[in-house]
Amino acid sequence: MKALYRRLGHKGLISLGIIVAALAALGTLPFWLDVDASYTGYYLFITCVYLTVAQGWNLIAGYTGQISLGTHAFFGLGAYTMAGLWLNGIGLYFFFDVTLMVVAGIAPAIVASIIGLLLLSRLKGDYLSFGTLGLAQIVYVLFVKGGKITGGANGIYLDASYFSSMRVYYWVALLVAVLATLAVWLLTRSSFGLALKAIREDDISAASHGVNVLKYKVLAFAMSAFLAGLAGSIYGYYLFHLEPASVFNMNWLFYPILMVVLGGTGTIIGPVIGSLICSALFAYGDIYFGGYHPIFSGFLIILVMRFMPGGIMGLVSKAPALWRKKEGAVATTTPE
Amino acid sequence: MTILLQVLINGVLFGTMYGIAAIGLSLVFGTMRIIFLAQGSMIVLFAYLTYWLFTLLGIDPYVCILISVPVAFMVGLGLFYTLFKDAAAIEDKNVSLLLAVGLMYMVDNLMLTFWTANPRFAATSYASYTIRIGDVNISFVRLMALVIALLAAFVVFYFLKRTRLGTAVRAASADMQAVKLLGISSNWVMAVAFGIGIGLAGLAGVVMASVYSFDPNYGFTFALKALVALALGGIGNVWGALSAGLILGVIESLGAYYIGAGWADAISYAVFILVLIFMPNGIFGGRAAVKKV
Amino acid sequence: MASPLLEVRNLSVSYGDVRALFGVSLTVEEGLIVALVGSNGAGKSTLLKAVSGLIYPTEGEILFEGEDLGRTSIRHRVNKGIVQVPEGRRLFPNLTVHENLKLGAYLPRTRAGYKDSLERVFSLFPVLRERQNGKAGLLSGGEQQMLAIGRAVMAQPRLIMIDEASLGLSPILTMAIFDLITTLHQQGTTILMIEQNVNMALKHCNKAYVMSTGHIVMSGTGEELLANEELRKAYLGRRAVTGNQGSGS
Repeated sequence: MKALYRRLGHKGLISLGIIVAALAALGTLPFWLDVDASYTGYYLFITCVYLTVAQGWNLIAGYTGQISLGTHAFFGLGAYTMAGLWLNGIGLYFFFDVTLMVVAGIAPAIVASIIGLLLLSRLKGDYLSFGTLGLAQIVYVLFVKGGKITGGANGIYLDASYFSSMRVYYWVALLVAVLATLAVWLLTRSSFGLALKAIREDDISAASHGVNVLKYKVLAFAMSAFLAGLAGSIYGYYLFHLEPASVFNMNWLFYPILMVVLGGTGTIIGPVIGSLICSALFAYGDIYFGGYHPIFSGFLIILVMRFMPGGIMGLVSKAPALWRKKEGAVATTTPE
Repeated sequence: MTILLQVLINGVLFGTMYGIAAIGLSLVFGTMRIIFLAQGSMIVLFAYLTYWLFTLLGIDPYVCILISVPVAFMVGLGLFYTLFKDAAAIEDKNVSLLLAVGLMYMVDNLMLTFWTANPRFAATSYASYTIRIGDVNISFVRLMALVIALLAAFVVFYFLKRTRLGTAVRAASADMQAVKLLGISSNWVMAVAFGIGIGLAGLAGVVMASVYSFDPNYGFTFALKALVALALGGIGNVWGALSAGLILGVIESLGAYYIGAGWADAISYAVFILVLIFMPNGIFGGRAAVKKV
Repeated sequence: MASPLLEVRNLSVSYGDVRALFGVSLTVEEGLIVALVGSNGAGKSTLLKAVSGLIYPTEGEILFEGEDLGRTSIRHRVNKGIVQVPEGRRLFPNLTVHENLKLGAYLPRTRAGYKDSLERVFSLFPVLRERQNGKAGLLSGGEQQMLAIGRAVMAQPRLIMIDEASLGLSPILTMAIFDLITTLHQQGTTILMIEQNVNMALKHCNKAYVMSTGHIVMSGTGEELLANEELRKAYLGRRAVTGNQGSGS
């Protein structure tokens, strides 16, 4: 305990305590709350799916400063990969097959690496956004027009008799979300993360200091696609009926972005807070406002980017600076 | 042969809207360095305005231009001063990009709630007129679309080349700081460029309502197509953007005819990605839209 | 001596937590050429930026013809006649020479005398007349510097502030540019120039200030400073080693 205290300090120990307590509470939730009967079960499940995607987007946007707009393609690819393999009897042939899920993450990661290599080796990151967006639209058309292979616009059906309880879904999604968050956290604290931050600040300078900018950008992009694909496979298990319109839905792009920017881009806790808040808004928005909540989501993105581009975490870290500002004027660049 | 000619002509005529939208995107990108992804949504929004003016008040779509374009220009100024002014001043362009994404998402869904997903069309009495030249049929409203696009490109070109403010807009796309040092208000320059960009969306909206049946989901597709045209034409080139729009229209038209209607989108995005990868300066070799690393 | 056109009193500027200027004071009298010299990072460019309004000071005052400029806009200052020739010229390379000059006279005050100003620029720099329809980006380094100064002249300035006019130019071109600055001065424009080429600057000015790490450490006429042994050691000696490279502070 003493050694731990020495390593983490007062604040770190408290944070660790809160995290352990929260995880313990969330992990044991199905034992004291009926997740099948309560809406909370679904809410937390979908939050975890979103969080996994969001952390992936956070890794590439928050830590390398590039905006990927192809998340929904990777999400859908993951779902379809899982379903396709399952239907063809590949894998160990049981529900929530770990191999299938990992492959469902790897497939979009490979696609992301290829497009990333092609786009990032020649262009500055600004256009990665539009390349990925174009790619996503191509993938969507391919699946709609895929005929028998993809099931076309009607999609494919899985054997829904496997469904027994939301409990399994809840635990799997929670575990994956926690692992995704942990992975992104560890990555950003490693030399990998340091390289990413250097690239975000100034990629030319990073390159001149020996950082292989392309390699790191592509790796981060592939990792982000992997997490989206993984989340897609979980959601695929939940849907049992996959169609392009549902798994390639733009919401799988916009909602995770909203969660990350609301919470705070480039922070590890930001997306967690963002996804908890946004999922709640969407869930209750659906109940109370019917189909109107996408309007509010768009409005929310605008509000956040207009008034607090750093997100909630940005406000938290800025608070002391605002306090200090009152004491002495700081040279400001003039507006005109 | 006749069919091919017909397909080509239809493509050119369809591409006019991409061209108008791309000119707008080019102006906004030139001065503010942001890709305004909500451009397509604005086009559809003004298509609805035209549709309303036509069905509710009986105003002819071509007369609507006199209302739509000034309104769109003012909307552009308003959007700039309320949303984009501060974001344009900071180095991190992702903030502006996400602002545009949020705006697009909100406007699209607003329109979906307001007008539903049912396709609308300003069915004028002359909407089905065709002009027959040889064996080729040319729709009157589509031909008008081309004429309008050419006029719009000319007006923007004249503004940029011959007016003091237009010169400042071009200067700003090279060096905003230097523009400021001459006592020119950078915000006003950006606001005007943005206003014209949205004004062109207003114009494209009129064209859209008069020629096609449209629904709120068109917005996003259109923004992407305009972006493709922008990448093809290169930044800072009015005629390049317009021509690229027409070329894109032809590519889609050919693709739809020879491969299949549903594939047109995929083909244009494939062209987009190929251009991004192999010709970042656009096919006319103008100034690079993107700097190489 | 003439009345002060520009007066900087006790000016301090900080970039975030980093202080760049510490209570700097100087005066530029009407009709003089004043040079501001010093090594890299001394705060010369920061001072110029504060006067032109690109940044606001944390403390102190900037008076122009007795009016406190305070937190007024760049536009206001250009309208008063304070015009900066920025470091690195900052021309618009895709625009023609003529269009660059036209933008110099953008403000309504300067539009009235546009034709006269243009004629004045063309007589100062005849080469610009020849190349007026060519792209500014295609001019040589010396011609670009002339265009940058010409663009400032178009604004009908009372005070031209020139940041590193000799940067990147050959010795011959540097001499030519300094001669042109002298001509401009003889025509009645007050000039404040920043130079790393201390020797040239001191030879061409009426009065000079020496800056070091955000302070003014010395001032006097050009001849006085040229004769100053301490200054020669500190700046002129080192210049010979560092050469003509690097940018201003």
